Amino acid sequence: MSQTFNLPDVGEGLTEAEIVSWHVAKGDSVEVNDVICEIETAKSLVELPVPFAGTVEELVAGEGETIEVGQPLIRISAEGAAADEPQRPTEPQAQAPDNGAAGAEAPSTGASEAEQKTTDDVSEEQNQALVGSGPKADAPKARPRTRPAELDLVDISDLDVPAGSQRSPVPGRTPSGPAGGAAADVVRSATPPVRALAKRFGLDVAELVGTGPAGRVTRQDVEAQAQQGAAAGSETVDTTLSAGPREEQVRVRGVRKATALNVSASASEVPHVSVFKEVDVTRTMELRSALRSDASYQQLNVSPMLFAAQAIIWAAKRNRQVNATWHGSHYTLCNYVNLGIAAATPRGLVVPVIHDAHAYTLQGLAAAITALTADAREGKTTPAQMQGGTISITNIGSLGLDFGTPILPPGQATIVVLGAVRTKPWIVDGNIVPRQVMTIGGSFDHRLIDGDLAGAFISDVATIMEQPGLLIS
Amino acid sequence: MRGADLADPVPVQLLAEDGTFTEHPTFSRYIEGLDDETLRELYRHMVLERRFDTEATSLQRQGMLALWVPALGQEAAQTGVIAALQPTDRVFPTYREHAMALYRGVKPEELMGMFRAATHTGWDPHKYNFNGYSVVLASQVMHAVGWAMGIKQDLATGALDEGRAEDELVVACLGDGATSQGDAHESMVFASSYELPVLYFIQNNQWAISVPQHTQSRVPLAHRAAGYGFEGLRVDGNDVLATYAVTQYMAEQIRAGAGPKLVEAVTYRIGAHTTADDPTKYRTQEELEAWKRRDPILRYRTWLEAQSILTAEATEQVDQEAAALAKDLRAAVHSLEPIPLERIFDTVYAEPHRQVEVEKAWLKDYEAGFAEEGQVSDK
Repeated sequence: MSQTFNLPDVGEGLTEAEIVSWHVAKGDSVEVNDVICEIETAKSLVELPVPFAGTVEELVAGEGETIEVGQPLIRISAEGAAADEPQRPTEPQAQAPDNGAAGAEAPSTGASEAEQKTTDDVSEEQNQALVGSGPKADAPKARPRTRPAELDLVDISDLDVPAGSQRSPVPGRTPSGPAGGAAADVVRSATPPVRALAKRFGLDVAELVGTGPAGRVTRQDVEAQAQQGAAAGSETVDTTLSAGPREEQVRVRGVRKATALNVSASASEVPHVSVFKEVDVTRTMELRSALRSDASYQQLNVSPMLFAAQAIIWAAKRNRQVNATWHGSHYTLCNYVNLGIAAATPRGLVVPVIHDAHAYTLQGLAAAITALTADAREGKTTPAQMQGGTISITNIGSLGLDFGTPILPPGQATIVVLGAVRTKPWIVDGNIVPRQVMTIGGSFDHRLIDGDLAGAFISDVATIMEQPGLLIS
Repeated sequence: MRGADLADPVPVQLLAEDGTFTEHPTFSRYIEGLDDETLRELYRHMVLERRFDTEATSLQRQGMLALWVPALGQEAAQTGVIAALQPTDRVFPTYREHAMALYRGVKPEELMGMFRAATHTGWDPHKYNFNGYSVVLASQVMHAVGWAMGIKQDLATGALDEGRAEDELVVACLGDGATSQGDAHESMVFASSYELPVLYFIQNNQWAISVPQHTQSRVPLAHRAAGYGFEGLRVDGNDVLATYAVTQYMAEQIRAGAGPKLVEAVTYRIGAHTTADDPTKYRTQEELEAWKRRDPILRYRTWLEAQSILTAEATEQVDQEAAALAKDLRAAVHSLEPIPLERIFDTVYAEPHRQVEVEKAWLKDYEAGFAEEGQVSDK
């Protein structure tokens, strides 16, 4: 007889684990409590002892594979044990998810033929394993409910219910009850969550006929009424936006995962403050045209971002506190600029850093930005290239946008945002003239940088964009 | 106040790490009177707990327990204290006092009910004079002081319950982390003000989950007692003889009406805080190895063998008994059945209670609303 050891929940509500390494191989004999493998859960590395003695018949999951709690891990053929017990599927504790048997019910559980088969092989011992003792191992695999569970925990049996407020049993809408019906009637008609739901749909529970116990309006009653209303208002009922499943579960990984972690940490830890300024960048754009026709700038990216980078370095020198890292009890003032360039790539948002950007000439900076953004788009940016930034720049103008409030990269106090360059009416010497205008702004760590400093810094950046010739002086 | 004790943070020790015995002017005498059988019993209880504990960890890893709280490394502290008490003394444990529970006779299946989430408290506290495990940190310390106040009142009015000893002592178990709870402080204020017969037994295992002891207190925890006006002593919690002797010494005075006392057993949690914890994330391998060299069982066994108190056969016998206990434990866990739902509600109040009845009816209805195994939903 073969006994299957399914992956247990080793840490209060874990749902899955990765097999790090196997300590046994097919054909090995094992004793009860011999360590058979090491697994890594969301909480820790754990060595798993086997609950049966016998010979290893099959390692069901391979090293590096992530399997869900309750799925088969290893099969052991017992020494001399006869299959005298009738085999039955895994019987979970009340409310515990049931991996195998529930597969018959919901296709969404993805229970495969293999899983169905394993439930038949499960030994009596395995039947008693606790699965999903914690809160996370919940909904999708739980046994389905045959009826909704109404949270109705207030006993109001002794409240006065005035005569005439009983609802008509006839389906459909009932005539309105007496104005200002007793509180007990309202409480009795539906539970608070159902009343809240009705309110969201703009329905009055007093006008619905309840199908619940004692004529109570249930969640289903409200939803049915809401659907009727919705159906009446629309002709065709397309169930999805475009061809494909109604909802998809997409695993979060790679750059998306790293971005999510970074921005969550930054947004929750750092109080962001933003300022903006609209600037006439006509002279910068003229300089740009001049450089573009310069032979030494061929093949290089000469964008407004290049000039903005120069302007930022200049402005950071005049406003040192924007170029700093907050540590709680102290902060580090940086006497250099490591400039992060936010780049949208096919893999997601990447912020490569030009280290010691202040040491570059304009041409060198142009070359660095060109190389860095090219690497980022091709997915070649190394982790080291993304470390150590002190100030970042994000060019949303290339997306045709004007304003934005970016989240600060971890450890940085300043990120400058560049809008699109647009030809706009501008007042010059009392006359309306068309000028090329862009919005420059940024997000700042308010713990370090107050509005006046943020304003001074952005104004300095704007000054250079307005008068790039100042950099020569 | 014993000023000298307060000034000296070095824990009382009788057995050194290498198993050599050193005389102590105050505490040696509590050991001198012990016969060989009693000394072997201390060893036996420590070994039984360790084997029991290891098996429980395996059972958790096999999905048979929701959680396990290992006591590895703390066997001497627990055994030393419980062995020095009278069976009539009431113990209020945390959730890690397995050696004490087993010593008092709590059965494997009773102890495991809670960890398999099959029962709330698996045993009758009155049967063993050993309260249920308390998972809410430091709550048991309040219960202990409340119990001690009850004893004091009963003695004052002459209404002591039948079967209760007049010199009953109450043990309030807590860990280093729980000493930072407000409850611990409040209980010490009351215990001192009312001169209650309470022995505070702190197992300082160095780590409150991931918070090191030096974050909990800048002074030895035993010194806390002085602030409330009673005596506190540090003892080497990995030295079962010293722990036993210090407990006897304290118990003598408490029974004589001296009011509360505190014992800080300096020990180490060799295992994880619970099976849901990974200690490698916050403490070093070097630290763990250093404490393993102070192993309480090895040290005591070395001494017993040197004294010819423990023979090879006796050791083998204890090991066999431990293996049998592990087997019993495994069988017991497999036979545990969850208690009926009703009992959760029926034991809240002594008499029926309307709101509790409503909630019970709701939960029964909710539980009945699940499809049977394999039943296909209408939808």
